[in-house]
Amino acid sequence: MRLRRLIIATHRDLGYFFAGLTVIYAVSGVAVNHIEDWNPSYAVRTELKELGQLPEAPTEALADEVLRRLAIDEEPTSVVRMAPHQLKVFLDHRNLTVSIPGGTVADERVRRRFALFEANFLHLNTGKGLWTWIADLYAVGLLVLACTGIFIIPGTKGLGGRGRWLLLAGLGIPIAYLAWMAW
Amino acid sequence: MRRTVAAFVIVIAMAGLAVAGELTGTAYGSGVTIAEPTPIATLLAKPEGFVGQKVRVDGVITGVCEKRGCWMQVTDPDTGQGVRIKVEDGVIVFPYESMGHRAAAEGTFEAVKLTPEQVTARAAAAKEAAAGAAAAAGEPCEKAGEPAVKAGCDAPVQNDTIYLIRGTGAVIQS
Repeated sequence: MRLRRLIIATHRDLGYFFAGLTVIYAVSGVAVNHIEDWNPSYAVRTELKELGQLPEAPTEALADEVLRRLAIDEEPTSVVRMAPHQLKVFLDHRNLTVSIPGGTVADERVRRRFALFEANFLHLNTGKGLWTWIADLYAVGLLVLACTGIFIIPGTKGLGGRGRWLLLAGLGIPIAYLAWMAW
Repeated sequence: MRRTVAAFVIVIAMAGLAVAGELTGTAYGSGVTIAEPTPIATLLAKPEGFVGQKVRVDGVITGVCEKRGCWMQVTDPDTGQGVRIKVEDGVIVFPYESMGHRAAAEGTFEAVKLTPEQVTARAAAAKEAAAGAAAAAGEPCEKAGEPAVKAGCDAPVQNDTIYLIRGTGAVIQS
């Protein structure tokens, strides 16, 4: 009985403590699961613009002309002539790919997705270092939550009855999937 | 949310700044350990001589894998020649917003020979792109097919071969 009280208290307190992180990881998990379909961290919007014929000029002068025609008053981070027919102008969270001499511009704007960027940063452990240890601690916490969770309720609703079947069903899903993939 | 933001800031601060030659910025992977960069033009002039060697290149980031950040293209702004830095998915993630920033990257130089089908498909896709606005947009050549290298289907090709660096680390100027 004392042991069960300890299990319940541990499960409850860890549940409160890790609730926030669980929500962050769950939201990021769904976002990252669909990485083939979208960029979960950045919203990239590209707009095609026509500037008209551009003069043959040195790279810097050409970049200045492109910025002037687009009415952009910003110092580029860098300018690169990728090929005789292509110029790239990089601005803060904005990339211009210019077709020379035709003057077609792919104006790409990059924006961090609100909250998702931070959630993915944590979930994917992009920062490494300290967060690796915090994430490890969280993983141990989840393990304790899972282990204590199955012993909270005794009797027919716990491991002695329904709980047992639900536990087996939950384990069965990944096993069945792996077996299906192997077959 | 405030706690998340605070944690994010702390993690960024812990990541610290790295120095590669004269380049100061954020380190990715094992950072940069080779003191002297090999000019990209030298690397691509006689690429076979560098295959299997660990090299460092410096330049401007002109492309990043949009979905996974699993590769970036470092281009010499003086020559326009670039090389892809391919990293393992999830091990190093290059931020999409780092485009236009200076970077130093190192790893093992590798040659990936394209199949005749891939060469034909790439040529067709490039021709199609050059004819339309896609050339300016730099859209990935979806029809060209992605070789096993996973460095983007628009990776620069030379002599039917994609030369790339299996990246182990990089420093990107903030």
